[in-house]
Amino acid sequence: MLSVQNLHKSYQVGKTTYEVLKGVSLEVDDGAFVAVMGPSGSGKTTLLNCISCYIPADSGSITLRGEELARLDEDALAKVRNRKLGFVFQDFLLLDGLTVRDNILLPRIIAGDHTCGMEADADSLCDVFGIAGIKDKYPAEISGGEKQRTAVARALINHPLLILADEPTGNLDSKSSRAVIDSFLQARAALGATIFMVTHDSFAASFCDRVVILRDGVVWRTLEKGGQARGAFQDALLDAIRAMSAE
Amino acid sequence: MKTFSEVYAALRRQNRGRYGLLAGCCFFSVLLITAYACMMRAPTILTILPEGGDSRKQVMMVFVLAVLGCAVFTTYAAGLFFRQKSRETGIFLALGASRRLLHRALGRELAVIALLSCTAGAALGAPLAWGIWQLFRLFLVDSQEMPLVFDPQAYLLALAFAAYVVCMLFFLAARFIRHTNIIDIVQTSHKSEPIHAVKRWYGPVGIVLALAGALLGYLMPTFFVTVLHWYAPGAVNAIFYLPALAGLYMILLHTVVHGWGGRKKRYQNIISTSMMQFQGRQTVRNMLVMTLLIAGAYFASFYTPMLSTSAENTYAARPVDYEYHWRADQRLPQRDEVQALADESNVEITSWAQQDAAVLGTDGTYAIETETGFGATYTTAYAELLNGATFFSESAYNALTGQGIDILPGTCANVLDDEGGSGYLSGGDVTHLTNMVTGAEMDVTPVEPLCYTMLLGCYVLDDADYAALTAGLTDVWREEYVFFNVADVENSYTFAKSLFNEIVDRSGPAVEVGDYYDQVASMLAAQAGEAYEYAPETAADLGLPTIDYGDRDSSAFRSYWKYMPQFRVLDQNDFVTTMAVFLMLFVFIAVVCFAAVIVIAFTRCMTIALTNARVYDDLRHLGASNAYLFRAVRGQISRVFLVPAVAGTGLIWAFYLMILYFNSDPYGFTSAEVAGMGACLAVIAAVSALLYAVYRATRRSVCRALRIHN
Repeated sequence: MLSVQNLHKSYQVGKTTYEVLKGVSLEVDDGAFVAVMGPSGSGKTTLLNCISCYIPADSGSITLRGEELARLDEDALAKVRNRKLGFVFQDFLLLDGLTVRDNILLPRIIAGDHTCGMEADADSLCDVFGIAGIKDKYPAEISGGEKQRTAVARALINHPLLILADEPTGNLDSKSSRAVIDSFLQARAALGATIFMVTHDSFAASFCDRVVILRDGVVWRTLEKGGQARGAFQDALLDAIRAMSAE
Repeated sequence: MKTFSEVYAALRRQNRGRYGLLAGCCFFSVLLITAYACMMRAPTILTILPEGGDSRKQVMMVFVLAVLGCAVFTTYAAGLFFRQKSRETGIFLALGASRRLLHRALGRELAVIALLSCTAGAALGAPLAWGIWQLFRLFLVDSQEMPLVFDPQAYLLALAFAAYVVCMLFFLAARFIRHTNIIDIVQTSHKSEPIHAVKRWYGPVGIVLALAGALLGYLMPTFFVTVLHWYAPGAVNAIFYLPALAGLYMILLHTVVHGWGGRKKRYQNIISTSMMQFQGRQTVRNMLVMTLLIAGAYFASFYTPMLSTSAENTYAARPVDYEYHWRADQRLPQRDEVQALADESNVEITSWAQQDAAVLGTDGTYAIETETGFGATYTTAYAELLNGATFFSESAYNALTGQGIDILPGTCANVLDDEGGSGYLSGGDVTHLTNMVTGAEMDVTPVEPLCYTMLLGCYVLDDADYAALTAGLTDVWREEYVFFNVADVENSYTFAKSLFNEIVDRSGPAVEVGDYYDQVASMLAAQAGEAYEYAPETAADLGLPTIDYGDRDSSAFRSYWKYMPQFRVLDQNDFVTTMAVFLMLFVFIAVVCFAAVIVIAFTRCMTIALTNARVYDDLRHLGASNAYLFRAVRGQISRVFLVPAVAGTGLIWAFYLMILYFNSDPYGFTSAEVAGMGACLAVIAAVSALLYAVYRATRRSVCRALRIHN
């Protein structure tokens, strides 16, 4: 599904160059739920921004179902973002002037797909994520968890190949965080979604099939959940993070 | 909701305040510029303001300031609009909207905003100007010259400004959408504009630069002309004002960043200072524009009190109530006829002095200009016979003025004003005189000038010299001067008006000329077979006011007729109506500029406060009392509002004093100028009170918006 190979990215601040990604490689399979963890400055958000095509990488390749993203022009990239990727942001990034349902419909509207069925699709996503009761409300009138579930529904409206989530539980309390993680799990179970999530939260990451730990711009370790229980996998993640800190 | 346009419409409804602000700023700017342009280009005004004259230059200078101010203001409003729009644009891009799609949608919105606001502004500009002018006519003054006629060509200026607004909007929109990095766009609305490295010496150095720039800008053109003999292009002269502009900018920067309270007040004003500091360049630019507009508005508003006070002073200082003179070949009212007119109006004539004078040819230097492609240079040449001037014998001068001067044979004295000034109007020293009929010539030595404003520009000779030199002159070269007083001058207006009309009615076409007309120069041109450029029939082509007996109450006639009588009561009573267009034009400019300042300041204060609304909420959460929050708001609003007001007022006052000081000859202030300055100070007090009231009202509005009690 997603293949990242030897990705490099650096930033120039004044006369100093900061190399943020130093040859990151990873694979995400169809239907997988993968998290990227790491301390601040490890490059996880930069990695996500490169995969999202928000910023260009210096070198390396990112292929989405065999399509090399770096070769696409701007219009084609916009299409990829709209049709093949779904986004969930830490700050939700919902438009305050639109209702929950209109926010969910936004990617479809941008795509110019004005079919009669699109509102039904939005309604069914509202049902899946338990936000049917607030679909006519505005973002200012709903809770943080509801906002994020709205964002997840929005990410799924165009049936994307991959959902990219940037700290989706970063601004939420534990109950809302759990609801958002549940919505990802539901999306995977009910809609077959593939999810790639950047997070600091070991609890959220413990629901994933695989967790990639970045340190100083390189993949430090990859942990597979396998048949472990969620609690055990979270302990394994915490042990790995402790070990990384001790090095 | 199914289409992108519907999404945009929904967001527009939610953010109508932002759209309203942008449309309002564009509308107001175009309205202001249209109104100003219509007035500036109105034939009513152009007929009155001499072409190339100072008044027209001042009107143009303030217009340029207004255009600059409105351009910066609309650009600021557009920048704010796009910054506020950056979040939704970032979200659209993140969700896969193409830039083309966004550009199209934004372009449609801007087209509607620009079209509606600019059209409304341009359409209402002329009615606004007309309305204000009618209010002036209704409540202040009206005269035969006041009816306002617009020139449709003024709309070219309005259209040019509207075109700027439209182009600026689309340019900024294209640049905004062109941002390639979505992350940046999403974060743009949270970005501040810090001002880097404003050193503490910015303030004092700014003051020095501002003063030096004003001084250089004013004096350098004179230096070029008098020392280098070079009429520099306007742009070169303008360059010398740039240090003043840079200095002003530094003063405002210093004020925004450090304030003038010293380090002790650092913690007292930390909130307002830090918030203002991060409003950045836009705030300082807006403050600079406001400062310049306030300065321009004051410059315009000083015109009326200065002119009125100066004129009133001059009229009151005249030692004689009535003066009139005529060319001896004209058959003007003599003493018995004037007495008869006075009797009709029950006016008692208490004294009468009548003396003859003569027009003689004088020597002088003249400039020969050479166009260089970069201004003109000139050399001077001497001619024994160049111009004409009016000469009195010493006994005639003494009889008229009551003075007792004694002019030695072979000498000649020029007459200056009562304070020994106005040398630039007096003709200066002459050394060689010519009788234009007999050709008799005489060399004279200039002596100490005399002082008598009512005969400014005339010359006085020894009696014997006068008799010798004027022998054989025909009436065309002779003049009669009459000075008389009446018992109750304040109640003699009817008589004054009758006598004035009688004088004009009995003056023939040969003397229907402006004071720029020189009989000697005209004759010399005719003898050389050349056209005389100041002849009545060609003077208008040079932009000089035309003299027409039919327009005897016009400002042109009253100000420029070569034989205009000086009747104290007539001049005093008719001053306002005679000068109505001048006075009201400058009042109009001041009103328009001050209105612009108020709108810009109010808008800027509201946006600054609302941009920082979250900071005030945070402070409230940190336990800041209402009084503390109010002090912080006051600190912000007072900087935006009061700093430009104080800087603009101080700047223009200093500049005005400098102009008055250097305008006098010798340098200094005349009593009329001192009186005028007093009147200008009264205007400053009144306008400052108005600005302070608006500041208080703005502060109340901001506090209301931020839920702070004041």
